[in-house]
Amino acid sequence: MAGLGYYLLLTAFVVCAYAVAASVAGARRRSQRLIESGVGAFYLVAAVMSVASSIIVYAFVAGDYSIKYVQRYSDSVQPLFYKITSYWGGLDGSIMFWVFLLSIFGSVAVYINRERHRELIPYVVAVISVVQMFFLFLMVIHNNPFETFLTESPAEGAGLSPLLQNFYMAIHPPTMYTGFVGLTIPFAFGMAALITGYLDDSWLRAVRRWTMISWLFLSVGLGLGMIWAYEELGWGGYWGWDPVENAGLLPWFTATAFLHSIRVQEQRGMLRVWNVTLVILTFFLTIFGTFLTRSGVVQSVHAFGEDPELARMFIIFMITILTVSFGLVIYRLPLLRARNELDSWVSREAAFLANNWILLFSAFFIAFGTLFPTISEAVTGERLTVGEPFFNKWMLPVGLALLLLTGVGPLLAWRKSTVRNLRDQFLVPIAVALAVAGTLVALGVRVWTSGICFALCGFVMGTIGQEFWRGARVRQGATGTDVFTALIGLVARNKRRYGGYIVHVGIVLMFLGFAGKGFTEDEQVLLRPGQQAEVGDIAVRLDAIRVTDDGQKQMITAHTTVFRDGEELAKMYPAKWFFRKHEDQPTTEVAIRRSISEDIYLVLPAFNLEEQSASMEIVVNPLVNWVWVGFGILALGTGVALLPDTVFAFAAARIPANAVTTSLLLLSLLLWPAAVIAQTGQTVAPRERSELQRRLEGEIMCTCGCQQIMGSCQMRPNCGHYDAQNVRLTGYIAEGKDYDAIKASFVQEFGGQAVLAAPLDQGFNRLAWLFPYLAAAAALIGIVVTARRWSRQAAPAAPDAGLDPELSARLDDELRDLD
Amino acid sequence: MSHKAAKIGLTGLVLALAFGGLLYSTLGESAQYYKHVEEVMGQPDTWYGKPLQIHGYAKNVTRTRDSLKYRFEMHSKGQVVQAFYTGIVPDTFKNDAEVVLSGTLAADGFHATSMTAKCPSKYEPQALGTAGGTN
Repeated sequence: MAGLGYYLLLTAFVVCAYAVAASVAGARRRSQRLIESGVGAFYLVAAVMSVASSIIVYAFVAGDYSIKYVQRYSDSVQPLFYKITSYWGGLDGSIMFWVFLLSIFGSVAVYINRERHRELIPYVVAVISVVQMFFLFLMVIHNNPFETFLTESPAEGAGLSPLLQNFYMAIHPPTMYTGFVGLTIPFAFGMAALITGYLDDSWLRAVRRWTMISWLFLSVGLGLGMIWAYEELGWGGYWGWDPVENAGLLPWFTATAFLHSIRVQEQRGMLRVWNVTLVILTFFLTIFGTFLTRSGVVQSVHAFGEDPELARMFIIFMITILTVSFGLVIYRLPLLRARNELDSWVSREAAFLANNWILLFSAFFIAFGTLFPTISEAVTGERLTVGEPFFNKWMLPVGLALLLLTGVGPLLAWRKSTVRNLRDQFLVPIAVALAVAGTLVALGVRVWTSGICFALCGFVMGTIGQEFWRGARVRQGATGTDVFTALIGLVARNKRRYGGYIVHVGIVLMFLGFAGKGFTEDEQVLLRPGQQAEVGDIAVRLDAIRVTDDGQKQMITAHTTVFRDGEELAKMYPAKWFFRKHEDQPTTEVAIRRSISEDIYLVLPAFNLEEQSASMEIVVNPLVNWVWVGFGILALGTGVALLPDTVFAFAAARIPANAVTTSLLLLSLLLWPAAVIAQTGQTVAPRERSELQRRLEGEIMCTCGCQQIMGSCQMRPNCGHYDAQNVRLTGYIAEGKDYDAIKASFVQEFGGQAVLAAPLDQGFNRLAWLFPYLAAAAALIGIVVTARRWSRQAAPAAPDAGLDPELSARLDDELRDLD
Repeated sequence: MSHKAAKIGLTGLVLALAFGGLLYSTLGESAQYYKHVEEVMGQPDTWYGKPLQIHGYAKNVTRTRDSLKYRFEMHSKGQVVQAFYTGIVPDTFKNDAEVVLSGTLAADGFHATSMTAKCPSKYEPQALGTAGGTN
């Protein structure tokens, strides 16, 4: 199998080379047949990569440890899910996964645009194929994931550290990769436009959607990484400006800048060179980020180790990218001249420009800080590093400036704002900001940076609220519907604009969370049973330290009770787990109690069993959950902006007036329970009393190490552990406890939910965290489906029922005036 | 030189100066030397009191009873330095772990204010295996 996989990679390389040659030759000779043959070869690469991918996934699942890569990153006891995700676990596989994703994305992009952008396609195929060739080349000569052991192959894999067998770890990397890889598509179209000289705005239209999708994945990927750091690492924070984190953030900044500056080119024909530059930079930074994490150039604790040869190849590739693309930009400068000049600095395009500069500055600054050790070593011979405080000091004002512009931009008119419309537009947002600031001063908030941030959040929300309100009023006046319908219609007419505002709401919420960081309270204490420690207005009492074992690991759990103002708030169980075979490397299991206003975050870094004492870190993190909610809203807004026109046009034109209100109600109903679960992280298991014992035997683990539920322990009837469990269980039933209570008792007694076969575990809590997103997606799908159904029932002859042409023209005018 | 070019040039100059000045001052405050244990221990007294990150491998890790005070040795290429750290250590910190400490060197050893330990496997490029000691 390994041999076949390797040959497939070789084949893919050759086919890629053919795709480049055929499509370039075809474009130059204007031979449609050659071009089509190139495109065919391009699709073929996707097919070949899919087969190669299934081979490696099969090797993981089947446990083919003769393949080095499989042996190194999995073992036979690993759950199936993690066996599959091991595909992109290591360096070699992640490169292969990269090519696989790129070939799929590329094929989809080419297929969609093959008619609309016929003239660009051959070069798009060529550019993407060249990128694929680079990565395939790496694999073929340097990092072959299919490499096998030459002599005897081991019978068992080395296995993954339990630290990394984690839900977020499984989905965070592919999300990031998807974002990174997706950004190759805009680059390919940009290059094709430069090569062919078709530099009107049509290439921008082709890539807008791709950039948005990639940006969405990148954002969600960053968010997932933050949640993982927060929940698993136990240091109470979510961002540490580590080189590897920074590598993911760099292209995010330039992609964000690009999404904004596209608007300026569409609207005013300006910033054309800038846009091409941003697309090139963004792609370059994705490669640069990959280079940072894989070459060992920067000292990061979790980069993939040092590899000078790989570094050299990456550097050659990056230099090639920069020279060729900027060479082309210079060559095409005459065609890229702006159609308009900046009329005034008090205009929307100026605000966009400022936003772009700041975003680009952020990217360069972070790149500078990340590379500073390397730079300083090259210049002075001494390796100097800069850490978190340095980044925080710089990025704080930069972030606040960006937040301010988020609010200012939409208030300014294109071309030039008059004094009158400035007054008109800024009145409400500034009033909101002042109101927030006043309240904060009255409350005596002591952290002034957070105070400014809150006031700016108020300002931006004022802007967004005003935009929606005015738009809805205009539309209501024109169509005579109720305000909700008008609102939906408004969003439908300009999805990108209003979707963008929703994204801004998400950003504001994130900033709320960031500002909350200024109020974090943190205490390290030593507690003995019965003692309590106070942090702010909460008190944490240690009740006991318990040792339990579920066969897979030994768990030391601190049982604590948390009080606020003397009232019991919650019981929390921070723990340390010692996995079999990894006893010297315990995992810290943080206990978090979430709420909208703050998280209580308990860590058990050390303990003493004889004296029953525990060193504990107690952290109160105000507002931190708003960061995650912000990511959710951001995803929702991007989703709105991405909805296909056709779907939304149906909804906009044909939904009966009250239908919108009804769906909004439905949506809020859908989201409500999700929100409750997300905020408390608690769930209620279903109640049932019949066949209680049998049922519980199927859900409670035997503790003898057989890793079976009680009902199917292999060691019976001579299993002491089973008997002990059984005595407990029958005892509880005799006491008249119900199903939930018995389970709770087991959890209590064993100091953790691992005693349950299907624990009410963090696993579920994590799902609960995904739930709002799923619910939002489900609600959107529901609305779309309903809209479609209604539209089918409507009379086919009336394409714009309810809106006579005159009215709709007037509305268009009014909406345009608003712009 | 036209009026417009002068304006742009002046703005650019002011911005560049402001940026450079700020960068210089903040770098001075926050930059740390990054050294391996053997580089520092060759001439330890020249490093006393300087902001420093040292890279090495932890050995003989001990913890004072009922506290988070850690005491261990940092080894690298035959050189050793005694190290002290108080706080939560990353899960990956143990004997023989590859560690980067930041803090200052004194005659009795290296006093670390934060600790970073190498990830257990190269599984995950985007993972951050850090534990900011001050957080």
